[in-house]
Amino acid sequence: MNKIVLHIALALAFGMILGGCSGKASYQPAQQSGDAPPLPTARNFLVPPMQVPRYAGWKQGQMPKVAPGLRIEKIASGLIHPRQLYTLPNGDILVVESNGPGAEPVTTPKQLIANKIKNLSGKGAKGGNRITLLRHDGNAGGEWEKHVFIEHLHSPFGVALIGDTLYVANTDAIVKFPYVAGETQITAPGVEFTDLPATINHHWTKALAASADGSKLYVGVGSNSNIIENGIDQEYRRAAVLEVDVASASSRIYASGLRNPTGLQIEPHTGKLWAIVNERDEIGADLVPDYLTSVQQGGFYGWPYSYFGQHVDSRVMPQRPDLVAKAIKPDYALGSHVAALGLLFSDTNALPEKYQHGAFVGEHGSWDRSPLSGYAVVHVAFVNGKPTGVPEPLVTGFHSDDETQLYGAPVGLAQDKDGALLIADDVGDTVWRVTAASP
Amino acid sequence: MNHAPHRSVLADAVYGLLNPLPFGFFAAALIFDITYARTAVVLWNKGAAWLIVFGLLIAVIPRFVNLAQVWITSRHIARRADRLDFWLNLFAIVAAIFNAFVHSRDAYAVVPAGVWLSTCTVILLAIAHVVMAVQHSATGEHVHE
Repeated sequence: MNKIVLHIALALAFGMILGGCSGKASYQPAQQSGDAPPLPTARNFLVPPMQVPRYAGWKQGQMPKVAPGLRIEKIASGLIHPRQLYTLPNGDILVVESNGPGAEPVTTPKQLIANKIKNLSGKGAKGGNRITLLRHDGNAGGEWEKHVFIEHLHSPFGVALIGDTLYVANTDAIVKFPYVAGETQITAPGVEFTDLPATINHHWTKALAASADGSKLYVGVGSNSNIIENGIDQEYRRAAVLEVDVASASSRIYASGLRNPTGLQIEPHTGKLWAIVNERDEIGADLVPDYLTSVQQGGFYGWPYSYFGQHVDSRVMPQRPDLVAKAIKPDYALGSHVAALGLLFSDTNALPEKYQHGAFVGEHGSWDRSPLSGYAVVHVAFVNGKPTGVPEPLVTGFHSDDETQLYGAPVGLAQDKDGALLIADDVGDTVWRVTAASP
Repeated sequence: MNHAPHRSVLADAVYGLLNPLPFGFFAAALIFDITYARTAVVLWNKGAAWLIVFGLLIAVIPRFVNLAQVWITSRHIARRADRLDFWLNLFAIVAAIFNAFVHSRDAYAVVPAGVWLSTCTVILLAIAHVVMAVQHSATGEHVHE
């Protein structure tokens, strides 16, 4: 009798755990792209959808796959977690080698386990805290010259050159360095330009873009939590784009409600500021799509209270119907959990015609999705300054076909002086260069 | 209690030392959960998550001792109250395991499931403690828990 009760109890418990784990995605990223992505009902889980491919790295001669008509080559390897790329006016390429400062305290039992699982992919490896300069030596093929450009940075991410001043956004402050064209190393110590929100640093990256006239710097500051689980008081000046006045170093909130805005870029036709934003986790494999959007001055984009306009997130208490009502719907969804972390507007480049006039997006991939999504560089076509169509993958093959092994993960993007697309790969510690197969 | 000759004194000592702790942890977690549900101050939510995990960890050894004593080493002298106590504890622990997962959710997603599961755990353990206390009282023993 007692044995039967025990068996029933165990079967019930097992069934509930399995039920809590299921949560496979039912949409392809492309189906959840565009200005009106289908959004399923939000769910809470016992264990959220989770899939983390194990770190493998690139084997000798192994490369990402490219779409037909394209060619890929390796121009730098052996880097220490390259996250961002920046093209200097003389054609030199800056590679920001960085990762989070690892200063987020463990305040929940969940973090102990989740951090271990997430780091299996190699995405959590230590960053170089430095910037390396790549220079093409003029010979076709092979790796480029590599020079250590700036060292001893503190989890840097964004870089912007205004005149002869190079601004580098560390996780806690923007520092500035004097830049002389053609130099391969800056030895002058950085001078703090202005501080940035630096508590916890759950999202540590500080993206950077300069306005066209060089009078303003825009800084992407990610939220201090997934969905305010660290308290709303930790979100002051977070989940926002800050505007810093270059002359005075004073700053203000330019736009808010952007959970983790990176890839800040000025769209070349309209001169508007755009960003890619990573949306919230743990309410489903198909929620919430990450997005690409123009950033309006004074605009509020929903986080944490709502997503994609007025879809209320019930995990936030107290709720704010007044803010939900004014939440702006983002311009263009990229797909759920693709984890866009690199954006490059390119009007003309050395790639085939279909890749002109639009934006390239580096999708780093997320732990909170099964099957995997992202782990690709995609192209989003623009017409009259607005995104259109579905994201077109052009570089893939960063994980094994069975999704168990991770070779690399694309992050920052840049275009070199010959119009080729450059891709920073922070898991594969490589910079890739994509051109047309036949010039 | 009537001690059968093959029942370990060490096991009794470990059980007596550790068994009272999880009830305290789970009762504290319930208070924290109710406070969080009413205030939405995240400190209470995180505190409850730790209390449940530690309550479960500390419960591992006394629960296995109890399992062995009630069903194996002392099964001939185990009374109905002992078996009831075993089952009440088992269901309380199952509820607490689910609760640990519920408490891994972010922010207010823990409410209301977390409050209900904490309530279940505490009520089941409370009944178990009362059952055992009444049993001791009926047999003229001191209540030692």
